Amino acid sequence: MEDLKYELKRQIIEELKLEDIKPEDIQDDAPLIGDGLGLDSIDALELVVLLEKYHGVKIMDEEIGKKVLTSINTMADFIVEEKAKAT
Amino acid sequence: MKIFVTGIGIVTAIGLDAEENLNSLGSLTTGISRSNSSGLMLGEVKLSNEELMNKFQLPAEDYSRTSLLGLLAATEAWANNKIDKIIRTGIISSTSVGGMDRTEKYYFDARKNGIANSSLMTHCNGRTTERIAARLGISGYIGTVSTACSSGANAIMQGARLMEGNKLDRVIAGGSEPLADFDIKGFSSLGIYDNAICKPFDDNRMGLNLGEGAAFLVLENEYSISISNNKPICMLAGWGNATDAFHQTASSPDGKGAALAMTNAMVKSGITVDKIDYVNAHGTGTGNNDLSESMAFKSVFGNNLPAFSSTKGFTGHTLAAAGAIEAVYCVQAIQKQTVLPNLNFTTPMKETGMKPATGFQRANIEFVLSNSFGFGGNCTSLIFQKA
Amino acid sequence: MYISAASTISHHPTFRNKGFSSQLRELDPASELIRPDYSDYIPAMERRRMSDVQKMSIACSLDCMQQAGIGQPDAIIVGTSMGCCVNIRSFLDKILSANGGPLSPTSFIVSTHNTVAGQIALLLKNHGYNMTHTQNSLSFEQALMDAMLGIKEGFQHVLVGGADEEEQSLYNMRAKLNIEQLHPVSGASFFILSGDHGGSEGVNLLDAGSYGLIDSITDCTEHFLLSGGQSAKDIGLVLYAVNDKKGMAELNSIFRREQLFDYQIVAGTSFTNSAFAMHYGIDMLLDGSNPGLREHKKILICNNVIPENLGLILLAA
Repeated sequence: MEDLKYELKRQIIEELKLEDIKPEDIQDDAPLIGDGLGLDSIDALELVVLLEKYHGVKIMDEEIGKKVLTSINTMADFIVEEKAKAT
Repeated sequence: MKIFVTGIGIVTAIGLDAEENLNSLGSLTTGISRSNSSGLMLGEVKLSNEELMNKFQLPAEDYSRTSLLGLLAATEAWANNKIDKIIRTGIISSTSVGGMDRTEKYYFDARKNGIANSSLMTHCNGRTTERIAARLGISGYIGTVSTACSSGANAIMQGARLMEGNKLDRVIAGGSEPLADFDIKGFSSLGIYDNAICKPFDDNRMGLNLGEGAAFLVLENEYSISISNNKPICMLAGWGNATDAFHQTASSPDGKGAALAMTNAMVKSGITVDKIDYVNAHGTGTGNNDLSESMAFKSVFGNNLPAFSSTKGFTGHTLAAAGAIEAVYCVQAIQKQTVLPNLNFTTPMKETGMKPATGFQRANIEFVLSNSFGFGGNCTSLIFQKA
Repeated sequence: MYISAASTISHHPTFRNKGFSSQLRELDPASELIRPDYSDYIPAMERRRMSDVQKMSIACSLDCMQQAGIGQPDAIIVGTSMGCCVNIRSFLDKILSANGGPLSPTSFIVSTHNTVAGQIALLLKNHGYNMTHTQNSLSFEQALMDAMLGIKEGFQHVLVGGADEEEQSLYNMRAKLNIEQLHPVSGASFFILSGDHGGSEGVNLLDAGSYGLIDSITDCTEHFLLSGGQSAKDIGLVLYAVNDKKGMAELNSIFRREQLFDYQIVAGTSFTNSAFAMHYGIDMLLDGSNPGLREHKKILICNNVIPENLGLILLAA
């Protein structure tokens, strides 16, 4: 799980082109959108793409998206849950 | 200065000329249908590029769909106008993606096969305007504006300003936009499509449908009309442009840019808010636009909202061409003295309770307001007046 | 109309370098865009989505506003021939590589031509008039004409500029159009045009013109000068960009050889390089040392980069 969270942070920094931020700077439970990391609605769409592209999991609607994209923790939990469903 | 509309030309999913478009509006016939290639609901013009090229006897392979649609609408609007040195004439067109329908094909080929293709030159926005200018015999002021979904309205506004500024006497102004994969995929990545026909201003609206098309107006001042002897159809009474400055793509919750544009247009027209008889809204059918625009209506009109509707349920959202297409519809609303219908409306938005017009409604239409809002927060309103 | 500020980012050290005109030499073919530290102007969260054309334009715009000492312009007007073409190409590449899979939206969102003008307004929280002109080599002249209309209509200060970023497909396109490419460049030049010069000595924009699909640059140039009450002999210096023999012959028939200077030698090739030429001209007029400007303190910029198009800009000290 810790590896997954670190990987997510690394991918987010790379895909969203967050300069001057290292994975260590992102707290697992810190808000991603709005407060905390300060991402916006376009970034939210990019996170949806990231989850599908790198982890093979799809967010099916906006309501689910809002919950899943809250923090690194919620994103990692979602990946693990979805992958468990698939197997 | 009085600015008269003396010609209109239009091609959309609901008709290949002004008469066909008006008939479809009156019979509530949408042009949006499921596309065979993409599976999406799109407002496609029912003419292939080959048919358009044959119509104008053009050499094959050299014209983008943007130019072809633009030529069709512009030649209808231009009709029997003649070029002569004593009427200073210009053209202002608009487009978001220029010749992208061809560019993307050649680009994809080039990337896969490693060959650079010279037809990439038709990509340039200004090129499509030049093609139309050359066809009509216009030289001198040949301009193109590109402000995403407010472009067509801005082209018309620019034409009027150049006339008021004593640079031109007669202008053909409008816009053209094809359905390019670039836009289809682009809007798909934003997740704002409706999988059925869009429902502007409805509480259950799901998003927009893309469309394609072109439209042009011919604007003349009194001096030009005294020579051309063209009959005025109506007047362009005013215009307003403002910036929302909230987000690159989303509109502000209070519709500030939209409200400013509408207010600026009314100030320019010298009329008070109560004079507007009908509003042709931007009304894309997205959650964000329709709420933001409704809030702007509230702040501008208060409790006296005039009849309003969005015609995008007929044509789809034609991006840069929308402002020009809807300008033609506003001119037709004045010609026919009717409010235009908003398709697929059943439930008012819970935030506002506003109800658009859902059929042709005969009324005394003197002033019509047309809204167009684009990416980059660009907001433009035009006001047309019965002559 | 008074030019209250001017700012250029180019392949020369022009940015925040008043007097650069006397230091300019022929453009080195190996030169690259000289970028300032954009973090001084644009926060990281906004900067990450921007290509050169947006970053240059914002930096120049903020520099202009600082020079002119204004908080908000009444209008923001941009001329760009190809807009955000790096982002356009990036999205096309993403469509190819996604191969039907999920598609990243960011480069699409910032690909429209008016992203430059829109981003400037967003950063400034400016709700004023905002326009983008995209007419090939006449984009900047049309932006200027728009700005002049705005001043006549009552705007106090208009932020107006020309910007383009170089990209491989542009290079190919110019080759097809048989436009001689001295050196394709990226660049942005922005200005504040004001209705009132506030008592300070400086440079005025007398007129701007855009002529498309023309047969003769002579007719257009003479008409342009005459309508402003000028003639060819009143012009101290003509900064020109002409790439064909016919155009050059016409220019030589209107002006004396001593009046003419080919700005593409210093500026390189770009469809909006007349904006660079305008700043170059302003800097020369303010500097005053050019012998050609001793008697007639007027500069005409003659942009004939595409033979059928003519852009004209008239400056006076």
